[in-house]
Amino acid sequence: MSQKEKTPEQKEYDQLQKKHETKRPILRNCVVAFFVGGTICLIGQAISFLYIYFFNFTEQTAGNPTVATMIFISMLLTGFGVYDRIGQFAGAGSAVPITGFGNAVISSAIEHRTEGFVLGVGGNMFKMAGSVILFGVFSAFVVAIIKTLITQWFLGGF
Amino acid sequence: MKKNLSRYSILFFCLIFILSACSSNQASEGSITALFTEVNPAPLSVEDSESRVEMAQKIREIILTFDDLYDSAIVLGKEDCLVAIKVRHTKRFRMKKIEKELKETLEKEFPNENFTVSSDYKIFLEAVRLKDKVKEENWPVDKREEQLQKIIKLSREQT
Amino acid sequence: MLKGEQSWVFPRRPVIVATGVTGGPFEGNGKLAEDFDLLHDDLWMGEDSYEKAHRLLIDEAIEIALKKAKLQKENIEFLIAGDLINQITPTTFAARNVGIPYFGISGACSSSMEGLALAAFIVNYQGAKHVLTGSGSHNAAAERQFRYPTEYGGQKPPTAQWTATAAGFAIVTEQNEQNQNEPKVTMATIGKVIDMGMTDPFNMGGAMAPAAVDTILAHFKDTGRTHEDYDLIVTGDLAKVGRAAALDLIHAKGIDLPSEKFQDCGLMIYKDDQEVHSGGSGSGLSAAVLYGHLLKQMKYGTYKKILCVATGSLHSPLSVQQGESIPCIAHAVAIEMD
Repeated sequence: MSQKEKTPEQKEYDQLQKKHETKRPILRNCVVAFFVGGTICLIGQAISFLYIYFFNFTEQTAGNPTVATMIFISMLLTGFGVYDRIGQFAGAGSAVPITGFGNAVISSAIEHRTEGFVLGVGGNMFKMAGSVILFGVFSAFVVAIIKTLITQWFLGGF
Repeated sequence: MKKNLSRYSILFFCLIFILSACSSNQASEGSITALFTEVNPAPLSVEDSESRVEMAQKIREIILTFDDLYDSAIVLGKEDCLVAIKVRHTKRFRMKKIEKELKETLEKEFPNENFTVSSDYKIFLEAVRLKDKVKEENWPVDKREEQLQKIIKLSREQT
Repeated sequence: MLKGEQSWVFPRRPVIVATGVTGGPFEGNGKLAEDFDLLHDDLWMGEDSYEKAHRLLIDEAIEIALKKAKLQKENIEFLIAGDLINQITPTTFAARNVGIPYFGISGACSSSMEGLALAAFIVNYQGAKHVLTGSGSHNAAAERQFRYPTEYGGQKPPTAQWTATAAGFAIVTEQNEQNQNEPKVTMATIGKVIDMGMTDPFNMGGAMAPAAVDTILAHFKDTGRTHEDYDLIVTGDLAKVGRAAALDLIHAKGIDLPSEKFQDCGLMIYKDDQEVHSGGSGSGLSAAVLYGHLLKQMKYGTYKKILCVATGSLHSPLSVQQGESIPCIAHAVAIEMD
């Protein structure tokens, strides 16, 4: 990166400016994120129970339809312009659950609708979610390798 | 403002739509509690012979000695035995291990039976529903066994 | 006429004869709603993209300004305008529609005063009789280019600013008998690019404050004026963080500028309960506030002399992602009634 060392003048201004900079309310953000994120997960759990109770899904198999339903709900909320307000209020609370991923994909798709379906929606849909997919898959790969190594060499190998 | 109103009404109808789709009720009334609370149903034997009923009772007693569990439903079939358990919340990380231990203990005690141990809520729920059906509708032995096999198959499903 | 190192004095005192100010729904709910000539209640404005809506805002502001000045577009010699979007396309399309010889300027949020200074210069030296100048910005169009998609639920920090959906255009004309009572452009100071090494694009006010201060101090030095010569010094879009930092910097230079005389357009336009975080920003904002609100106040007699300092942060999403700091600029224009 082309980040240069700051001159003394710049450092001095940085100090002065920091005094006035409104800080992110970290504690408030954490608490709100905890509760909103928890509420989203509670809704997910309720939907999962609905699938178990009314349909022929076990706890194992109810995961997929639950995720699909949550993404569908987040799609509706994004389209109606509600999710970004929840996001501003809750921060990580609404970004970390699967609904946040859905929101990232869908908001990009809506945004680039004006550039057409192929180059606009198709090309930009995963603009933000792309890195989530890439690093999600990559980290799953790394964790799986570590797990395999540990179970093969240290536990099962002898 | 008018636009907002129509937006929210569409949202509202979508929710109604989703919820109403879910409520095509096909379950018996009492079984909903089986998902959330301790029900401790009596063990069920598919065959009515005394020895089988007694054996189901014995299996239950062994299960009760496990402290990590707080609820169990047993369905003893002709050759297979389904044991649905609920593991205590604090012990859920060790769930697979507990299942395995219980299965090994039971197989040592009753070497002639095929045990299926599951900690899945759905399996528990279905076991309770089967028991209720047997009691309420006097299902014949064949039908009981058939339903038991269905549940065992469901518990093996992965995705 | 050059005065000092970087300032112009306009002895013929060009006049701002008419203005046209348009805005979006969020501005319509703000404090200055009455000062807009036209407000849209939808961000799309009946167009099928935000960029087209942006162009429409500019189109309409130009049209209103022409109508108020009772001039035809053939009477206008030059159009000097700019906006925030890549390659200033909305302004270019508007210039195509109106068909006036066109200078496109790209000074980010400082475009409004850059344009006014150039327009006054051209008119003062009889390069033109009438020059149309101004700039516009559109919240959603800027948001998608510089930040995230509009519906994306990311949390913005309290230092972030809200890009205004607004356009403000003015017609600068030679002084004559009929327009004696209109505001006049008397001086301008062109700023240098100042980079204080700030890298956070969500804190543009903090990055731009030194540029504003540099230009104000240069203006005082070049023209020999002090803050006492002005009833109001108004900055473009420093918002809360930037305004406080700028005031500190000015006080540190030993200039005793009272804080009520140092206002910011980004803090004037929205109500306190509107969720704009630190305040407003955008190239249309300073244009709309100056041409809509402040000039009206000058005609009412609230202010006699004001110094308008439009600040711009000249970064692009690319330069920010590559870790470059944010270069900033500010241009000052003195407007007087007499």
